[in-house]
Amino acid sequence: MTPTTRILTAAALSLGAATLRIGAAQAAQNTIKIGATLPLTGAEARIGGFYKEGYEYAFEQQNKEGGVKVGDKTMKVELQLLDDTSTQSTAQSLADRLINSDKVNFLLGTYATNLVEAQSAIVEQNQMLYVNGGGAASAIYKRGYKWVFGLLAPVELLADSMMKWIDEQQKAGKLPKPAKIALLWENTSHGKDFRKGVSEFAKKSGGGYEVVVDESFELNGKDFSALLGKVKAANVDLFLSDSHLPDYITMQRQYVTSGMCHKILSYGARGSEKQAAEALGRKNVEYILSAVWWSPLLGQKNEIAKEFVAGFKAKHGREPEWYQAMGFETARALFTAIEQAGTLDKAKVREKLVVMKLPSLLPGGELTFPAEFGQQSHAPFVVQQNQPDGSAPIIAPADAATGKGVAPNPNCGK
Amino acid sequence: MKLLPHWVSRPALAALVAALAIGAVLPKVLGWSVYSQNQVTETLLFVAAALAWNWMGGYLGQVSFGHSAMFGLGGFISARLLLALHLPFWIAWIVGGLVAAGYALVWGHPTLRLRGPYFSIATIGVGEATRLVMTYWEDLTGGSSGLSLPITPGLKSELYWWALALMGAVIAGSYALRKSTLGLGLLAIKSDVDAAADVGISPTLMQDIVLLLSGFTVGVCGAFYASYQNFIEPGDMFGFDRSISFVLMAVIGGVGTIIGPAFGAVVFVMLRQYLIGSYPQLYLGIYGVLLIVVILFEPLGMMGLFFRIARRFGLLRPEVEATLEAKAAVGGAAADPGAREGGAP
Amino acid sequence: MQRFTELVVAAVLLAGLYATMAYGLGLIYGVLRVVNLNHGGIIMAGAYVGWLLHEKFGIDPYLSIPAVVAVSFVLGIAIYRGLVRHLPRGPAGAVQSLLLLFGVWLVLRNAAYLLFTGNDQTIRTEYSTRSVAAFGLALSVNRVAVFGIAVLTLVVLHLFLTRTFTGKAIRAVAQNADSCTLVGVDVERIYSLTFGIGTALAGLAGLLGASLFSFNPSYGSGDLLKSFVIVVLGGLGSVMGTAAAALILALVEVFAILALPSYLTGAVGFVLLVLVLVLRPGGLFGHRVLG
Repeated sequence: MTPTTRILTAAALSLGAATLRIGAAQAAQNTIKIGATLPLTGAEARIGGFYKEGYEYAFEQQNKEGGVKVGDKTMKVELQLLDDTSTQSTAQSLADRLINSDKVNFLLGTYATNLVEAQSAIVEQNQMLYVNGGGAASAIYKRGYKWVFGLLAPVELLADSMMKWIDEQQKAGKLPKPAKIALLWENTSHGKDFRKGVSEFAKKSGGGYEVVVDESFELNGKDFSALLGKVKAANVDLFLSDSHLPDYITMQRQYVTSGMCHKILSYGARGSEKQAAEALGRKNVEYILSAVWWSPLLGQKNEIAKEFVAGFKAKHGREPEWYQAMGFETARALFTAIEQAGTLDKAKVREKLVVMKLPSLLPGGELTFPAEFGQQSHAPFVVQQNQPDGSAPIIAPADAATGKGVAPNPNCGK
Repeated sequence: MKLLPHWVSRPALAALVAALAIGAVLPKVLGWSVYSQNQVTETLLFVAAALAWNWMGGYLGQVSFGHSAMFGLGGFISARLLLALHLPFWIAWIVGGLVAAGYALVWGHPTLRLRGPYFSIATIGVGEATRLVMTYWEDLTGGSSGLSLPITPGLKSELYWWALALMGAVIAGSYALRKSTLGLGLLAIKSDVDAAADVGISPTLMQDIVLLLSGFTVGVCGAFYASYQNFIEPGDMFGFDRSISFVLMAVIGGVGTIIGPAFGAVVFVMLRQYLIGSYPQLYLGIYGVLLIVVILFEPLGMMGLFFRIARRFGLLRPEVEATLEAKAAVGGAAADPGAREGGAP
Repeated sequence: MQRFTELVVAAVLLAGLYATMAYGLGLIYGVLRVVNLNHGGIIMAGAYVGWLLHEKFGIDPYLSIPAVVAVSFVLGIAIYRGLVRHLPRGPAGAVQSLLLLFGVWLVLRNAAYLLFTGNDQTIRTEYSTRSVAAFGLALSVNRVAVFGIAVLTLVVLHLFLTRTFTGKAIRAVAQNADSCTLVGVDVERIYSLTFGIGTALAGLAGLLGASLFSFNPSYGSGDLLKSFVIVVLGGLGSVMGTAAAALILALVEVFAILALPSYLTGAVGFVLLVLVLVLRPGGLFGHRVLG
């Protein structure tokens, strides 16, 4: 036998032997093991860290009250959190590991639509319950998956909420009719959904809006000057973009440098972040419109939100943003469902989520997972606008509003 | 018995069959958990991919940094087929592989005229351009949202045996490629393309054949991966990191041998799995260090290291090692047009 | 017409940065016949060093140029002496050195991840969003400054290579290293020096890029490919050639927005690279000399 073949067989055998050690033993069940991955490093690390804060706060609070009541036992909840490095294949591998090797009872979701989309395929394959507050694209919920529940309302609704407010301004005569729109969207599910929301609203408006520039850009782009040049040449009234934070900062910086100014300026879910104001300078983010899933200002009218904001602030010394709130609420929804089911049986807990009507810190005050939307929550968005004094009040919907918005942008025409 | 070509060594064939048979019963015998079996499936898949990459990178001596193009194309074509029609998945895989092979020929045929580093640079360009175009091509890839395949319960565990078969086929193919007349021709091209042409070997034809084979196999691997993960997206399938992984597996394992890339793949997947829980960002850095060490000290890769140890203990005949050295040099003596040793024009 | 001027000016300003970036790569290849696949890594390192100096000590990025260039230069010499030197020269070593430097790039990337996390960083100064008026357009102060520095660098480089003894020695080694040994040039020292200069240029380009764009540990891979395109197009060594090629690439990229969706303009560089490599394979290399 030649050395090659000898080594061949040896390799095959050692392969088998080496893999023996993979696969953990199963510990006794005293705590509820809940697994999750989050992008703690990589492109989404900043927000991943925020979601982690939300999750950890929820687990802490629940354990302070003794844990979760499962039938007549009260069990503590334990979070097993792994870093999926913002990459799809890692998110999938880790989900497989949490489910099949670490044998967790339930899974909480990761953050970022593409990661949730990838991970959800694994959980559905394994029939593992997956509650997430990090994936907003409606495509995730249109696949007929039974085990995936989402707290983030779809981005089309985000666009729709913003357009509704803009429409009110147009009806009040503050914006031209028809209004020309430049629509720039990142080439991801998030961006595509935003584009869909705006385009459909424009179509239904019967001539009120015209999308004149409709361009996609690559995530984490560096140089938007050519794209912005195109927008400048088109002379539009409304500049509507949808992007992640780094692209928002880069694009806005180049926008300001080129001297542009539009009657309405928005970056979708981005706008009021403190980091942006620091990176760009407060003057350069004035009057930017944004729509988000949640704002700490909701605490003024919503009791659960108020309690959450106060408790979080006491722990971290700063106010939470929507990331921490979503993380917190996602975990809380799962805990509630377990209590309601009185068992750790996945199918029974799932049934409770299907019919859940939970009083919530979300806008609208209630959390549900409507079946007609594939078990994705459709809670309304809050629309905010950055004011010169550095605040970003909620300007819509009316029952949550804490301030009035301004249109058209007073800085233009100077 | 004249069933087999003269270059097939009986013992080698027997060993391969034995290894596959052992592999087929391992899950039951060792009582693997679902997770372990999945990990091994993934490992076997990447062994196949690394070996197929090595046909170009090691045997032909043309290091490609763009193989993710075929991996991704095979994956998406197969996925689209499975979404549109109800085919047995392996048919979709083969179609995916064929399309990937065709694509490989399209960009590879003209670029293989380039030697050594120029070819490698061109492949970086091909890989990245493919990724950008594919991410934009929504009808095929679903754009950045990716594609979700329908979930077939029980398929994933079944895939273990398919991966075993795939790997077995690729090992057999590697062996055939190495030992056959075609393989000798490749060796000649790698050493000195002009001299090879002088003795009647047609470099372009042989290169094209290897291109097709490598492209087809890597395409099938991509299709397998799609069925395995149930969700694929262009950023991951066509990514530069994906291309890099093939290079790393083969070069660190040892490009000159059949086992080298296989071993490199095993180590790569295992290392990644091990680090993923605790230091997820570290594995690329570790691989970078390994690559540097291999290039500087042991061009035969980790297999070369083993052979050295084996020889120390008298398990290896010296002439075997010498043949390996000849076959192994990464990049061969790829001619640099316009420059001979020393840099004269 | 206004639009046209805008695009051309944008391309010209960008070309300055591109030329500086590409020249380092071309220099190393021209003299050592080594493809510096770590080029992107050094660009990224230059960006981070500049950012670090700005964050920790408040040093304006343009003032930290000497420091960044010095650090990159030393790093380049270290990489050469420690690693590249041990590989065989000539065609056999070409792919090996390529892979070796690729390994170095992976290590640098990982180090950056560990030190600075993968978050995007920016260098924000109080003039980051200011613009100057010229040609009837508003030009970003940063872009103009980067262009100016790039042009200055290339002029200095040209003078160095044509007027100084060391510069001429470098060009001579690129032509024929053996003959140089015969006439008493310490070829090894020239190799070291050249690698250092090439690396320093990459570091500088990284710093300049950081003042314009945001960056993270993966920064530099796109620039690596653009540099290849420019080197292949413009031939080795000639500063004019590099500048011209940089301008061509910048113009193609900028004007592509008129024909292609903005998303695909990134692919333009790559396609150009493959086309050029295939249509003029090896013909541009080795037949030009520095000067």
